[in-house]
Amino acid sequence: HTAGCFITDNVGQFFSSGHTNNWAVLVCTSRFWFNYRHVANTLSVYRSVKRLGIPDSHIVLMLADDMACNHRNPKPATVFSHKNMELNVYGDDVEVDYRGYEVTVENFLRVLTGRLPPSTPRSKRLLSDDRSNILIYLTGHGGNGFLKFQDSEEISNVELADAFEQMWQKRRYNELLFIIDTCQGASMYERFYSPNLMALASSQVGEDSLSHQPDVGIGVHLMDRYTFYLLEFLEDIHPASKTCMNDLFKVCPKSQCVSTPGHRTDLFLRDPGSVLVTDFFGSVRKVEITMDSINLTSVVSHRKEEPAANGELQKEVYSYSDQLPVSEIIHQKPKQRDWHPPDGFILGLWTLILLVFFQTYGIKHLKHIF
Amino acid sequence: MAAPLTLLFLLAVTVRAALFNSSLKELISDRVEVVSPLTAWKRVIEGLALLDLGVSPYSGDVFHETPLVIYLFHFVVDYAEVTFMLADLITAGCLYMAVKDYNKQVFRKQKFALEADRYPLDCLELIRSPKEMHYIPLKVAMFYLLNPFTILSCVARSTCCLNNAVIALFILSTIKGNLLLSAVFLSLATYQCLYPLVLVAPALLYLLQHQYIPVNFRRPNFWWLVAQYLFMFGGSLLVVVCLSFFLLGSWDFLSSVYGFILSVPDLTPNIGLFWYFFAEMFEHFRLFFLCVFQINVFFYTIPLSLKLKDHPVFLIFMQLSIISIFKSYPTVGDSALYLSFLPVWTHLHRFLRNIFLVSCLLLASSLLFPVLWHLWIYAGSANSNFYYAITLVFNVAQILLVSDYFYAFLRREHHLTYGLYLKRKDGSEAAMVLK
Repeated sequence: HTAGCFITDNVGQFFSSGHTNNWAVLVCTSRFWFNYRHVANTLSVYRSVKRLGIPDSHIVLMLADDMACNHRNPKPATVFSHKNMELNVYGDDVEVDYRGYEVTVENFLRVLTGRLPPSTPRSKRLLSDDRSNILIYLTGHGGNGFLKFQDSEEISNVELADAFEQMWQKRRYNELLFIIDTCQGASMYERFYSPNLMALASSQVGEDSLSHQPDVGIGVHLMDRYTFYLLEFLEDIHPASKTCMNDLFKVCPKSQCVSTPGHRTDLFLRDPGSVLVTDFFGSVRKVEITMDSINLTSVVSHRKEEPAANGELQKEVYSYSDQLPVSEIIHQKPKQRDWHPPDGFILGLWTLILLVFFQTYGIKHLKHIF
Repeated sequence: MAAPLTLLFLLAVTVRAALFNSSLKELISDRVEVVSPLTAWKRVIEGLALLDLGVSPYSGDVFHETPLVIYLFHFVVDYAEVTFMLADLITAGCLYMAVKDYNKQVFRKQKFALEADRYPLDCLELIRSPKEMHYIPLKVAMFYLLNPFTILSCVARSTCCLNNAVIALFILSTIKGNLLLSAVFLSLATYQCLYPLVLVAPALLYLLQHQYIPVNFRRPNFWWLVAQYLFMFGGSLLVVVCLSFFLLGSWDFLSSVYGFILSVPDLTPNIGLFWYFFAEMFEHFRLFFLCVFQINVFFYTIPLSLKLKDHPVFLIFMQLSIISIFKSYPTVGDSALYLSFLPVWTHLHRFLRNIFLVSCLLLASSLLFPVLWHLWIYAGSANSNFYYAITLVFNVAQILLVSDYFYAFLRREHHLTYGLYLKRKDGSEAAMVLK
C-alpha cells in the first residue's frame, strides 16, 4: 500500500503539465561528409528521445545527408558519437522521415505548420494537437539570425518565430522546447513571440559552437560539444526521472563548451523548475488509478449447435476442392457460343459470293482458270 | 509440275504441324516481330470471347480485326491451325499459278520483240529462255512456304497469313485478266488492311496491258476500263463495309480498324519505323508526323507507276515491298510475301550490286531481333535504342534490297534498248552511272 500512497501523493504532479502526448522534430540541415557531426548530433537526440519513450510515429526525423552509408565511411552502417567508437547512435531501427534533398526550409516549415499536400504520408506529418508537447532540435551551420539548410538556402529567425506563431494559433502545441546547436544559435530564438516556448542554444550571438573531438579512425569530428554533453546528461535520464529544466540549462558550461549556452524562458508560462525534462524528451503516459474492480461480461454469445432434425437436414458432403471456385473451372462444360451472326448477314454474304462465283466461273470461263 | 508442288506442300504442312505441336507455339505467338496489335491471335480470341459475353469486341483497345474475320473465326476457331495452313497453301498455290502465267506472257512478249528485231545484237545474253524459267514458279512457292518468316507467322497464327492469301488471290486474278475477281479481291485486301489500296495502279496498268489498251488519256477505251474497274472496286468495298455493319449492327469497327491503322495509337515495338518516333513525339507535332509517315506509304505510287508503266508486275512487287516496309504495324509475314517474288527476277542477278551487304544485314538483323529484345526487356542492360537500331538495320536492308532490284530491272531494260556494251558516239567504251 506504500506504492499507492506514493502515487496518490504525486498524483497532482502527474497532471500538472497539461499535455497528453509528445512529439519531436529533429532536423540536421547539413550535407557532405565533413558535417558528420551534425548527423551524429541529431541521431543522439533521436536515440535519447526514443529511449525515453517517444515512438517513431511521433518523431519527425530530417537528415540532410546519409553518413552511415556514405562512401567515405570506414565503418558502414554506423554513426558514432564518441571517439573509440563507443556508442553507435545509428542503431538498427532508425526511421528517417525526410532524407537528403527533402530537407528543405519549405518542408520544415510545412511540417511545423501542418500545411502539407494531401498525399503526404502520416510518417512525414507533425500531427500534434493542443495537448502536445513538442521538442524541436535543429543543428547545422548557422549565423546571426539564420540557419543554413543544405548549403543552398537559409531559414531566418523571423520565419521561425512566425511559424511558431502559426502553430500557436492553430493550436498545434501545448508547450514547445526549442534546442539549437549551431554557431550564434541564440540569435535564432531572439524573435520568438508566441506563448509557451522555451528555447536553448549552444552559443550566444557572436560566438561559434565548437565540435568536440575528431576520431582518427573515421577522420572527421564526431559530435559538437554542446550536444555531446547534452547526450551525456540525457543518458542519465530515465522515464521516471524527476530532473527538471533548470538542470538542463546547466548542461555544458563555458569551461566545457568554450561557447556560452543560452536559454530563454520568458515566454514559458510555468516555472522552469517545475518542468520535467521528460515532459519534452520522453513520452510519459498518464495512468489512471482506480480502486474499483470490474467484471468482464462476455460479449460474444455462444451459438448452440442445433441437433439435426432426423433425416431432413441433408448436409452436402463437399470435398475440399469443390468448395472453391476452382471446381467450376475444372468441371467446365465446353463453352456454348452465345453469339451468332445475324441471318441477314449470312444471307447477304453468301449471295454475294455466289454472284461473284457465277459471274466469273460461268461455264465458258472455267477453262481459262484451270 | 504437279508432283514437286505437292511434295512442297506436304513438306510445308509437315513443318508447320510439327511446330504447332511443339512448345514453341506460345513462345512464337508472343514475339512482337511476328505479331502486331492488328494481327495477333490472342486478340482474336479475346474479341470472340467479348462477343460471347455480349459486349462489342471493339470496345476497349484490344481487337482490331475486321468483322469478316470475326465471322470466319466464329466457325473455325477450333480449327485455327488448319485454317492458317490452308491460307499459306492457298497463297503459295496462287503465287505459283500467277508466276507461271506471268512467265508465259514474258516469254511471249520477248518472242515478239525478238521477231520484230527490237533488241540490239549484243544483248542476246540477256534474253531469257523457257528452260531457265521452268522452275521459277516452283521456286516462288518454295520461297513463300519455306521462308522462316512465313513459318513463324503461320505458327503464331497471325492473321497476316490471311491478308497474304487475299493479296495472292488478287495477284492471281489480275494476272489472269479477270476484272471482277481482281477488283473483289483487291477490295477485300484493302478492307482487311487499308494499304493494298496502292495496288489499284499496277492492277489497272496490268489489265490495260492485258486488253491491249494503251495508256492514253484521250482514248475512251482507257477511261471505260478504268471506270469499270474502279466502280467494281469501290462498289465491292462499299458492299463489304455495309455487310460488316450488318454483322454487329454498329459502325465502331471503322474507328477500331481503320482509325487504328491510320492514327497509330499503340506504340508497342515492332519491326517498323513508327513506334520509336511516336513514342518520343511531342503531342503538338503528332498529327503532322502521322500525316508525313502515312503519306510516305502512298506517295511512291505515282512516280513508280509513271516509271514502270510497262512493267506492272514489277510494280506490284515494288508496291508490296513499300507497303511492308512503311506500313504502320509491319510484321515479318508481310516481308515474306514480297520476298517470295525474288525468284521471278533471278535474271537480274548480274546487275545487282548489294547482294552480300543485303543478305548479311537481313540475316544479322533477323537473328539479333530476339537477342536485343531479351536484353532490353528481360536483362535490362539495353534500352529501346538498341532494338530500334536493329529495326533500322532491318528496314535499311529491305530498302536496299528493293532499290537494288529496281536499279537492276531498269538497267536491264536500258540495256535491252541500247545494247549491253555501251559505246559513246565515237565508238569508245562508256560506262553507265546511276545519278
